Order: sequence, then structure tokens, then C-alpha cells
Amino acid sequence: MPFYLDVLGVECSYGAVKVIDGMAFSIKQGCFAGIIGPNGSGKSTLLRCISRALKPVRGTVLLEGESLYKMSPREAARKMAVVPQETAVNFPFTVEEIIMMGRSPHLGRFQAEGKRDYEITGRSMDLTNTRHLAGRQVTAISGGERQRVIIAKALAQEPELILLDEPTSHLDINQQVEILSLLQRMNREGGLTILAVFHDLNLAAQFCDLMILMQKGKAYRVGKPEDVLTVDSIKEVYGTRVLIKKHPVTGRPAVFLLTRREGEVPGKGRIHVVCGGGAGAAVLGLLAEHGFAVTAGVLNMGDIDWETAKFLELEMTEEAPFSDISDRSYRENMEMIQRADACVLVSIPFGRGNLKNLEAVSRACAWGKPVLLVEEREIGERDFTGGEATLMYNQLKEQGAVVLQGGAEVPEVLAGLLQARL
Amino acid sequence: MEVLKEVCFLNPQRRVWRWRMINAMLFGVLGLAVVVCSTIGPAQISPLDVMVMLVRKLPWVGSMVPPGDWPESHETIIFQMRLARVVLAVLVGAGLASSGVVLQGLLQNPMADPYILGISSGAALGATAAMLFGLGMHTLGVFALPLTAFAGAVATAITVYNVARVGGRTPVSTLILAGIAVGSFLSAVTSYFMITSGQNIHQVVFWLMGGLAGRGWDHVLVLLPYIVAGLAVMLLNVRKLNVMLLGDEPAQHLGVDVERLKQVLLGAATLTAAAAVAVSGVIGFVGLIIPHAVRLVVGPDHRVLLPAATLAGAIFLTAADTLARVAAAPGEIPVGVITALCGGPFFIYLLRKKKEPGF
Repeated sequence: MPFYLDVLGVECSYGAVKVIDGMAFSIKQGCFAGIIGPNGSGKSTLLRCISRALKPVRGTVLLEGESLYKMSPREAARKMAVVPQETAVNFPFTVEEIIMMGRSPHLGRFQAEGKRDYEITGRSMDLTNTRHLAGRQVTAISGGERQRVIIAKALAQEPELILLDEPTSHLDINQQVEILSLLQRMNREGGLTILAVFHDLNLAAQFCDLMILMQKGKAYRVGKPEDVLTVDSIKEVYGTRVLIKKHPVTGRPAVFLLTRREGEVPGKGRIHVVCGGGAGAAVLGLLAEHGFAVTAGVLNMGDIDWETAKFLELEMTEEAPFSDISDRSYRENMEMIQRADACVLVSIPFGRGNLKNLEAVSRACAWGKPVLLVEEREIGERDFTGGEATLMYNQLKEQGAVVLQGGAEVPEVLAGLLQARL
Repeated sequence: MEVLKEVCFLNPQRRVWRWRMINAMLFGVLGLAVVVCSTIGPAQISPLDVMVMLVRKLPWVGSMVPPGDWPESHETIIFQMRLARVVLAVLVGAGLASSGVVLQGLLQNPMADPYILGISSGAALGATAAMLFGLGMHTLGVFALPLTAFAGAVATAITVYNVARVGGRTPVSTLILAGIAVGSFLSAVTSYFMITSGQNIHQVVFWLMGGLAGRGWDHVLVLLPYIVAGLAVMLLNVRKLNVMLLGDEPAQHLGVDVERLKQVLLGAATLTAAAAVAVSGVIGFVGLIIPHAVRLVVGPDHRVLLPAATLAGAIFLTAADTLARVAAAPGEIPVGVITALCGGPFFIYLLRKKKEPGF
């Protein structure tokens, strides 16, 4: 099958500044394609170029093999509709009148709107859920409603291709999903080809079949969402570290943002965090963010603390999933505690399987290392050993372990403790 | 819910019918205004006589109506003096209002008026040159003033358009700013001429305020082709003008050749307004207020707005000019003073009344 839209070596400039520099990609008919990229990478300019608002200096765009720039404005408008980021209408047209304007490329100079035009306008209103607004003035409706009206106008054009520039950036999440689901339905059921600029990577990944990641006016990567949205490509193009997971429901890639991490600060100190499950994730992140050298253990593979440590690239003691702490990992954990300047025990529940963690902490106490206990819940509530854990835990307190109510002040308190020891 | 639908949805037939009714009504009012305003003046002539006189001038039906028993002089007063001026007011009012509608739409700016491209300043400079330095007076006679004014106006509009043109496009904001800049410059030149000429500048000031005193059928004939041609071009593009209100790029996406439409409509609106200014001087507010007032009543759709505003402009200026003629008789008030006196407060009223953003 030949491609529907071919962008061939397009170059675009604003004055002397080259904004699009040799962009090339092709999309098939019936494709839902998304353009992503950092601010200033040329996404909107590319879209303006394809929408004929801007003529490329070099290269061309073909629509079904025919140069887009050689078509008459009317001819192009019958095939392609454009939804800008925001539309300001200064004159008090009614919503219906605005949507009816979508019919203008199909009407002759003296031709009045006919029955068919009213039918199509009505259908566009139904699809976009704007029928109840029909008689309202477009100047007096909300931004979200106005965007739906503009999309209805675009649909009334009966286009084969629809171009959208961040169509949902001014909408709340409910409206975002509503609009994009509508477009997805038009795409799947109506065979509408869609090319949209997205600011939100997750929205793009959810809805697009094809993604075009732009960097400095070029296509950095074009392909399926899972091939385009990778930790490395995001790091390369956006210069930021993210976590990419499969969306639990849709299976599409989902991007999680992370706070900026400065890296380990020499001399700040080495901290070992005894955690597990998901109780320690926040403390791990916080300590790493503050520049401590952090180790963790003993962690069962696949749990949240393990994933967090993995992601933060921390050294840790691992144990097989859902397994008790073995002698081998206990020893490994002890070695880490030995190397650390201080030890933190977070609010984990204790059962027979991880009692060895508590043992390890008491050894740290015995060695005279500062020990912090984060006590978000009373030990009694999380003791599943029949009192043994409570006993050991209270001994820690007697041995001089510092108790904190929450994890937030851990870095500060630790810094103070380590300072005092010097 | 059913009732709501009924209210919300425009019935296409009913809408077209409503538009026709509005225009028919305005047309009737204009006819009435022409007759009534022709009767007003020092010589008392009854409206009925005027009507019969007019009907008798019509082809075919005219010969069927018997002449009345009015004195010969009345017919002379009506046809040689008053009617020419009333018709001129109709044409100037129509030209300024239609030009205002088109420019407001084309520039997507509710503050636009026929003079936004600086043509009033250009016309003023041309007219001043004719009045103070006798430019063209020898060769052109009475038409020296309108022709120099017209030339000044058109030259200014062309200059502004070219100044605003950047890389094959004429962005609206640049166009407006260029109009202001060139207009201010030309106004300064005009002022300089007025101050340094050492002549009586009373005539110039009077012209600048705009008026129809002393104009006759000759002026009507000069103006008529421009108004007719200009209006025709504007009326041919009303649907595109509607789409232009969405902005340049959205209009292009709906299949309008925006740059071409700008050239055609700026050309039509400018020529219409320039011709009107050339015969009448700078009459303010008609081209700004009438489009707004009419839009308030009929809505922003140019298919009804343009003809309705054209008729309303004609009615308004006919009435205003009659007032200018008789209010300070035997002297005259420049009609521009009357339009500004009515227009200013009305505009403020519109601004205060408006509760929603936008126009």
C-alpha cells in the first residue's frame, strides 16, 4: 500500500533561522500519528508546513502522491482539516454557524447551504457532543467547549486527513480523553487519517499508532510508541531521566517523570537502608537525591523497593521473589552495613521471613553505627512473628537508635548525626 | 429538551426570510428618508409632491402619473439642489459603512474603519495641496479637489499595503500598524502645510471635518461607479469574509486564498472609501459605528450584515446631512461634526452595554 502522506526532505526557516531541517517521514491512510519533541524542536512549525500555512524552503509534502503546495486552497481544504491549539473568535457567531463554516470548501460562491450540509453539521455536533451549544455564541462558551466546536467544524469539512496542534493542551484530563477518544473512533471507524502534535508523551503513547520524535528540526525516531518512547531516546532528546513502564491496562508505554538527581556528593556519607515491599522507596529516593551514597537490603526481586533501587542504580542485596532471607544474602547485607556510616530501618512489617533484617540492624547498633528508625506505624501493628520482632525492635531503641515519625526528615537528621561523629 | 432544540437550531428557510425582511425594511426606510430629507429646507415642499416628482422620473411607470400643481421652481429645487445632495449622502454613507464592515471583517479587528489604512490622511494631504497650492486647479477645475484627494488616498493605501507586506504575506497587525504610522506621518505633513502656507486655512479645516455642501450631480456621477463596483466585489465575497473572521490561517484551512482575498477586498474597500472621502471630505464614525450597530441587531454573518449596514449607513448619513444643512441655517455644520456628535456617545453606549467579551 502506498503512503498517504509523504513528508520529503522538508526544510523550513523563519528568517535566517532554520526550524525544520530535512524532515522526512511517511504515514499510511487511516493512521493515527503523533508528533512529539521538546519545545522548539519544530513540531508546530512542521504542522504549519503540512497545513500549507508555511511553504518549505526545500523539499515537499505529497498527499496521495500529489504535491500539497500545487493544490488550490479549496482542493486542499476538502481533503485536509486543521485544528489549531486555540482559536480566538472575536465576533459573536453562534456555534452552529461556526461549524457550518466547515462546509464552505464544498459550497460554491452563490450556493446556499443545503439539506445535506445541515445533516453533516448536525452529525459533527453529535460526534463532538456540541449539539446543546448550537445556538450559543461562540464568544460565550468555555475553552474546552470551543475546542470541541472547532473540532466539529473540522469534521464538517469531511476531511480525509486532520491535523491537530496540541488539541488538548488547554483542556482538563476528562476533556482530553473525551476528545482523543472521539478522534480515535473517527480514525478506527471512519478511516480518518490523523496527524497531531502532542505535548504530553503519555497521551501520545495512549492514542497513536505511529510516533514521530523530533529533535532540532529533524526526525530523531519514527515508529511504534514502544520503539520511540525509550529511556534512552527521551534522555537523548529531552535530556531528562524518566522511567518507562508498560501501562497496566493498555499495554502502551507509560512515561514517569523523576525529580532531578544530582548524583553522589563525595564525603556526604554512605547510608544503608533496610527496607522491603514498598516501605522504603521514598526514603531511598530522598537520600539519593540529597547526595548520600545509598545501599539497600535485603530486597525481594520485583517488589517496589527493589525496582526503585534498581532504577536509582543503587547497590543492594537481592533475594529471590517471595523468599525468606537466606544466609548468603544476610551476610551480603551485613557487609553493606559494615561499609555504611549509618543505617536506616524503615517501617516494614516483620514476619518469619525477614526477621533477619531486624537482626542485622541490631548488629549495626552493637557496632556503634548511628541507627535511625522510621516509625510510621507502631511496631505492634506490623509484628507478625508473635512478639519476637517487637522485643528486638524495642531493644534497638534501648541501644540508642533514633526514632523518627516520618521519612521526610531522614536526610537532615542523618546529616546532623554524621556531622556530630566527625 | 424539544423546545430548546427548536430555539437553538436555525431554520435555514426562516433565516433567509428574516434576512430578506431586514433588508427590505431598511430599503423602505431609505426610500422614505430620501423623500423626507428632500422636503426639508427653506422652501416648503410637501412629501407627496416629492414622491410624485420622483415617480414621474421613473421609466415606463413615470409617464402614467399626472404632474401635480406644484410651481416649476419646486421641481428645480428638488432635482437640481436637494436631491443631488441627498443621493450623494446615500452613496457616501453606503460606501463608508460597507467599507467599514469589510475592513473590520478582513482585519478581524472590531476597531477597524475605512480610514485604518491611512487613506483619510492621504486624502487630506491631497486635498490640502489642491486647496493651498492650487494643485491641478487649472487643468481639472472643480474636480481638482476630489481627484487629488482620491489620488492621495489610493497612493497611501498602496504604500501601507506594501510596507506591511513581509515575505509574500500581509499580517493583519502589521497592516494596522503600518496604516497608523503612514497616516500619522501624512497628517503631520498636512499640518505643516496648513501652518506655513500663510493662507486662510478655514476651507481646509472645513474639508477635513467632512461635508457635502456645494456638491451636485457631477459628484454623484463621479462617485457612483466606484460605489457600485466596490459593493459588487464586496458582495461577491461575503461568505469568504465570514470565514476570514476565524483568522488568516483558519480561513486558509477552509479553502480561502487569504492573500488574494485581502488584495481584492482591501482594494474594493479602499477604492470605495477613497472615492467617498474624495467627494465629501473626512466624515468620521459612519464606517465604525454603523457596522457595529447593525451587527448588534442582525449578527455577524456578512451575508446579511453587509447589505444591511450599507443601507443603514446610507440612511444615517442622509439624515445627518439634512441635519447639517438645516440645524444652523442659513449656515452649515460640517456633517462630520454631526456624525461624531452622534457616533461618540453611541459608541460609548455600545461599549458599556456589552457584557460579553468580543464584539
